[in-house]
Amino acid sequence: MIRRPIASTIRIILGLLSVALMLAGYSWLSYRQHQKNPKDTTIPNWSQLSEGVQRSIQWNERLEDRWLTDDAMATLTRLFAGLGLAVVGSCVLGIAMGCSQSVEAFLAPPLSFLAKVPATAVIAVFMALVGLGMKMYLTMIVFGILPSMAITVYQSVKAFPDELQYKAYTLGASHMEVVCNVIFPYVLPKLLEATRLMIGPAMVYLIAAEMLFGDVGFGYRIRIQSKLLNMGVVYPYLALLAGFGFLMDSLLKTLQKKISPWFDAQH
Amino acid sequence: MPNTDAPMKTVASQPHIALECRSLSHWFGSKRVLHDIHLTIQRGQFVSLVGPSGCGKSTLLRAIVGTHLPNDGVVQVHAKESSIPPSPVQGPGRDRGIVYQHYSLFPFLNALENVAIGLKLDQTTLADRLFRWVHWKRSRKGHLEEAAAMLERVKLKDAMHLYPHEMSGGMRQRVAIAQALVMKPEIILLDEPFGALDEATREELQKALLELYEENQQAKAAGQLPDYTLIIVTHELNEAIYVGDRLIGLSQYWDWKAEGHSAHPGASIVYDQPTPIFEPHSVRDFEIFEHQRAAVRQEVFHPNHLQPRIAPDSYTHPEK
Repeated sequence: MIRRPIASTIRIILGLLSVALMLAGYSWLSYRQHQKNPKDTTIPNWSQLSEGVQRSIQWNERLEDRWLTDDAMATLTRLFAGLGLAVVGSCVLGIAMGCSQSVEAFLAPPLSFLAKVPATAVIAVFMALVGLGMKMYLTMIVFGILPSMAITVYQSVKAFPDELQYKAYTLGASHMEVVCNVIFPYVLPKLLEATRLMIGPAMVYLIAAEMLFGDVGFGYRIRIQSKLLNMGVVYPYLALLAGFGFLMDSLLKTLQKKISPWFDAQH
Repeated sequence: MPNTDAPMKTVASQPHIALECRSLSHWFGSKRVLHDIHLTIQRGQFVSLVGPSGCGKSTLLRAIVGTHLPNDGVVQVHAKESSIPPSPVQGPGRDRGIVYQHYSLFPFLNALENVAIGLKLDQTTLADRLFRWVHWKRSRKGHLEEAAAMLERVKLKDAMHLYPHEMSGGMRQRVAIAQALVMKPEIILLDEPFGALDEATREELQKALLELYEENQQAKAAGQLPDYTLIIVTHELNEAIYVGDRLIGLSQYWDWKAEGHSAHPGASIVYDQPTPIFEPHSVRDFEIFEHQRAAVRQEVFHPNHLQPRIAPDSYTHPEK
């Protein structure tokens, strides 16, 4: 039978096994590469990786910086600011489109079009329009994820049952109260889900922009260290990015369960 | 928009009347659905609305709720206080409560919050809740207490903190009824409320409605205006006769040619009779009204039994 349930211990063992296999595979690849070239840094061994981590976290007297904290601060500030703007913007636009047919007719076509354009392909246009710096990063993230998120919210509002809307009016709600007290809580879990799904693309756009124009940040550091073939620094950075994405995903999932316990049961 | 030029008898509210429909007609393009519906519902009446599929029961209910206004005619809701003029229905409003078969509750609120939300929306504004915290907190406490008392009344004291997805269908409908009752509307509309429930739960909820009817009778006996007026749309004839004290049959099968129409003008009221009154704790015996059930089947549901529609305001409430 397909989808047969398995015991949770088996699930954990299988999960750990997959990670162990991945690490073992990497160790084997690194070992083979170092057999061919003992000074290789493209597939660093574990001691090279450890050196890379130490280099990232130690204070650099000459440049007066610490790579990891400076890069993390820069990237996370940009990411959270961009995500925040995109979430608020998509929520407002999505709800407005779902509630008003005029707004829907006005905004749905351009948003559907923009959702299909990859932000990385428009990077030169952004540079010409908003210049470099924070504005560029925010534009990349917002342009990259807002249209898709707004459409998700809009579709969620469209799926809101008419009966509940009518009921709210019979309970004395004003139009604004229907939006704030009835429609918003209904679409909130969908918004959180869309945010979770968009963390990955947002990071892709941000890292791409940092790689091209940054002077600090994860993208910048990965580009510079890749050019120098210092993969002992690059790989831990990649692992950190993945870990951060995983953490954000888990936090949003927990938040969704906490504030919308009904959502999972309904979907 | 409704035709407000339609003749209305009243300028001030008549407290003994809860709702009036006058010359109500509705059509979708060339398809005529309702024709010249006249309906006066007395305060305290439990009216069951039955009819064949596609006869426009839901359209009539929507016109009364105000979500789909009729093309012609008006619906007026009367207040309990005679000083308040009757208000023509222009859209859904808090003077009419509604209980649907599906989507009867807000999924993101638990039972207590579902019942309290009406009080919150009706008695406070967004500005109150955002800027007048102390006032809002005090009101909220009162709302939750009132909602809890209402849930206790519908025997859901132990389910107050359950979300709709954690409740059975019967519990959900009980909460939905409590949600409507707590607002003390002039009339409560039930759109096939027990359609998706099993027979035992259905019976339980029918008896819950009869308890409300019993309270009405007690209020009347005490010389007060009854609190609950109800229209229940159902496809279940036994339920219609058992729960209601008046049965209205809406049907497309009537003798419209006799009125000189060249094409079918839409469904109209063809049956309007009192029904036997049951007590909530009495035995539910459908055999008692076998004769009435047969008459309704013949006059409302039979496509070949064409008869004139009921004259406006011909219904007389029996003294019970």
